[in-house]
Amino acid sequence: MFIRVKRKKTTYFLHCDPSESVLETKQKLQALCDVHVDKQRLILVEPETILDEAKSLEEQQVGCDALVALTYKIQGMNEETNEETDSWEEINIEKPIDPKASLRKDHNKVNNTNL
Amino acid sequence: MVRKEDTVRLISAEGYEFVIEREAALVSNTLKNMLTSTGAFTETQLGEVRFPEISAPILEKVCQYFYWSLQFASGKETEFHIDPEMTLELMMAANYLHT
Repeated sequence: MFIRVKRKKTTYFLHCDPSESVLETKQKLQALCDVHVDKQRLILVEPETILDEAKSLEEQQVGCDALVALTYKIQGMNEETNEETDSWEEINIEKPIDPKASLRKDHNKVNNTNL
Repeated sequence: MVRKEDTVRLISAEGYEFVIEREAALVSNTLKNMLTSTGAFTETQLGEVRFPEISAPILEKVCQYFYWSLQFASGKETEFHIDPEMTLELMMAANYLHT
């Protein structure tokens, strides 16, 4: 099966097995986006669920053509403890502006005033 | 294991990028020729193809079609849903890509 992994303006299409672990999926992404698995977080978009590395894709309801968001760990150091901060990006998937959607809305407005 | 060298980047009119495996891209005869010619296209070197005429939702549907087509070829029959509003643009893209 395949899944779509999105972040900002990029979509990665990946062939994967439903029984593979999320960690294996992250390793495939590492090869494509050069970000280490530890700094990757995969989130199933609907319903919004952070995917557990240890579990498989099918266990977490990730099916064929599923939409998964990719977020990176925000680089930073905690000055007091001198450890890396544990904060992650917000899901940020850019949606292209659909010119037809705005046309449809105007069409509906016209219909309502006629009634 | 997919490597970066085995992938192709398709770029839509708005600059959206779709990274797919070469195997999927070869479903399109146009892409197949662009990617397998011996140096005639810059696409061969960079592994990147730009589509200033194709919008992101259409290009995404095209990529989904490539993967669906590979699944279908291996015997698994599944449905491929197309929004009626998308049909015209999708047909134009399919024609250009010789798919």
